[in-house]
Amino acid sequence: MTTKRLIFTLLYDSGSFMLSRNFRLQRVGNLKWLEENYGFGKVGSAIDELIVLDVSRQPRNIERFCEDLKLLTLDCFAPIAAGGGVRSVDHARLLLRSGADKVVVNTAIYDQPELVENLGKEFGAQCLVASIDCEHNNGMFVATKKNSFELTNHTLADSIKICARLPIGEIYLNSIARDGTGNGLHLEILDHLPANLTTPLILMGGVGNSKHIVEGLRDSRVDAVATANLLNFMGDGLSRARRNAINEGIDLANFD
Amino acid sequence: MADRAVVIVDYGMGNLWSVASAVKHLGFEPIVSSDLESISTADTLILPGVGSFNRAMQTIRSSEIDKAIGEALHANEAKLLGICLGMQLLGRSSMEDGFSDGLGLVDNEVKKITSVSDQQVKIPNIGFREVQADEEMKIFGGLETRSQFYFVHSFCMQILDDRSKYAIAHHGQTFVAAIESGRVFGTQFHPEKSQKNGLKVLQNFLNL
Repeated sequence: MTTKRLIFTLLYDSGSFMLSRNFRLQRVGNLKWLEENYGFGKVGSAIDELIVLDVSRQPRNIERFCEDLKLLTLDCFAPIAAGGGVRSVDHARLLLRSGADKVVVNTAIYDQPELVENLGKEFGAQCLVASIDCEHNNGMFVATKKNSFELTNHTLADSIKICARLPIGEIYLNSIARDGTGNGLHLEILDHLPANLTTPLILMGGVGNSKHIVEGLRDSRVDAVATANLLNFMGDGLSRARRNAINEGIDLANFD
Repeated sequence: MADRAVVIVDYGMGNLWSVASAVKHLGFEPIVSSDLESISTADTLILPGVGSFNRAMQTIRSSEIDKAIGEALHANEAKLLGICLGMQLLGRSSMEDGFSDGLGLVDNEVKKITSVSDQQVKIPNIGFREVQADEEMKIFGGLETRSQFYFVHSFCMQILDDRSKYAIAHHGQTFVAAIESGRVFGTQFHPEKSQKNGLKVLQNFLNL
């Protein structure tokens, strides 16, 4: 078994970090608040990776996002994936020159597959994370796009097939029904994945405490668990969650 | 050029920002540059990189960065650290996007990660993996023989029995996690993304 990962997701909107519940957003704090309550700028953080998404519902200000990304990542020596509204190679390059190591794509998978192809040629598949946001309807998981405002015609299994044809390094899977609820991960969604998935899988949506993290990481189909729960892990919450998972026998890198 | 200056070679690929912040954090002066003069006269060079080997070599050749690096190494006795793709580029060749020649500073070849057992492995190899380093390797000084570092890669450098010193890691197969050959160093993992252990490796290199 390979070592698993604990990932924290930050949802960004015009200088603020947001709490999402079923994709409805609530403002929580700015960079200063984040530094005071999480301190990602400190060497030796409790997470394996950070994912930072510009989830603004307004037209996005990419330059501002990148400036804030630079500030956020200044002394953060953990891998960072960034995305939200990536519509061109230049946009992705800007993120990669502002502290991001990987680029997250979502809508482009369905609407601009040729862009994903080009991103792969330019930066390599290991640089591209496919975010798949699923709605749960009558036992089916259907992929959505555009901040989940639009349904695609694709089931989860179909969208995984689309990703398999594209240069995608990781699948970042979220269940909208569980998003931000803190009720635990939607483990049922894993049964809708193809059995022979060879792309690393990050599961998110519903993590409210360290028990949920353990439940997700314990599943052999899951390579990483992510949470965007900005309020439940303040202070040393992420460190404690990590230690707890290690004590429960989960294979995570030990940063102590 | 100032003593503590570190030239980070910019050939348009990779996360230069993080490497530069790590160098700065360690008290050195990062200079992100594609200028041939700055590269060829540098004492300390870092070759970062994310992306396709083929594409990277095309850019490096057409901009003559390969020659500038060679000049720094030979005329100036500079030290060089290749990170991730930057380490692979030090090798003889790669099979990524078809065959392409590398810088040839070490003799090793780069191939896609394959599983030597029946057990399927996920590719890319992403996350913290244990690295077992030759005790004589300078960049691992002060670290335990088995320490964890952050990897993200689909291709890997094959081990050759030659004069280089190696650190190895496993994912489906055994591959080169770090290499040391004279003044030329490489890490497949990202020291700038591997928290304390990574910063230690970077510090060891910068202090050589």
